[in-house]
Amino acid sequence: MSWVRVAVSQSNEDIFDEDADEMYLLQKEWNSTMKKRLKEGYRDGIEAGKELALQTGFNQGYRHGAELMITCGQFKGTLNALLSWCRFNGHDSALSTINNLLDVVGKHEDDVLKYLNSTEEQPHLGHILDSVQDMDLNHTAGTEYKEVKDGKHEDSGSSGENICRNNGEVGSLQSECSKENLCTDPENSTLAWVKKQTVWLVEQLGLSLDVLHHVQQLEY
Amino acid sequence: MPRAAMADLFDGIVMAEQRFHGEGYQEGFAEGSHTGMAEGRRYGALHGARIGSEIGCYLGFALTWHYLLQKCTDEKNSKKIRALDSLIGMIQKFPYEDPTYDKLQEDLEKIRGKFKQVCSMLNIQSDFRIRTERSSLTF
Repeated sequence: MSWVRVAVSQSNEDIFDEDADEMYLLQKEWNSTMKKRLKEGYRDGIEAGKELALQTGFNQGYRHGAELMITCGQFKGTLNALLSWCRFNGHDSALSTINNLLDVVGKHEDDVLKYLNSTEEQPHLGHILDSVQDMDLNHTAGTEYKEVKDGKHEDSGSSGENICRNNGEVGSLQSECSKENLCTDPENSTLAWVKKQTVWLVEQLGLSLDVLHHVQQLEY
Repeated sequence: MPRAAMADLFDGIVMAEQRFHGEGYQEGFAEGSHTGMAEGRRYGALHGARIGSEIGCYLGFALTWHYLLQKCTDEKNSKKIRALDSLIGMIQKFPYEDPTYDKLQEDLEKIRGKFKQVCSMLNIQSDFRIRTERSSLTF
């Protein structure tokens, strides 16, 4: 227990030279122990946090993906119906047009899937030990404080843990938004183009107004 | 050293260890939540996209054929139209965007079965080859 006694001895007391080495070793041992606890806590925390968030995230993502693809699917189904109708009724000239449109829709779907599958996100910054300052470690030197602070978090130099977190989140939101813009703008223009071509095709084939309206009503 | 003081020192160490563990835990929890959400969203989005695409395809197909056949009112066609309407009804009732729907798999299978039935009535192959290259979405 002597190491504890030395460690908590107040800074008022003179530390004799002979004790200096011992003091250094004891404090190193203290730091090492606490560093271990910190790491263990971190690992436990990650596991717990992840488990909880996976299901919530899944549900959110599922809704997003389904809504993103439903209209694309409708274009696919509509074009396939027209394709089979044209085959039955001998409108062979239209077949290649429809197949081309199907290719465009198919490629667009692949692009959307790629976007949904991308995992770009901002790394989560945190200053784990800013709050260590609250703790009663007045006797430890500044360098030992930095030692306990793990290298697993980037030191952005900002003072508050919260500021860092907010920056990280805003950053990730921004990157997600810009990705989405990248995707939904082409999406709008791709499906808009397909819609236009399909409407033209329906008119060319002389199909009923109901069919025309069905295509015109496809929303993206 | 008096016993009470020793006990206090022990408590002090245990508390310090718990505090460090707790700090690490909080930080890790936040990090885990963040990555868990992102990962969950990614998997969810892919699954949802597949379902959305499939259901959308059935719906677009059925609606188009419904309108194509509407003018022809002979017996053979009215059978087809009834089947198409049944499929359309099933799809429109299906909450395609809700992953927590308790009958999700069951209803999905019913819709797939109905679609195959409709295709055979229309003399169409139900496994469309949408693209000539490998499709990322296979039902």
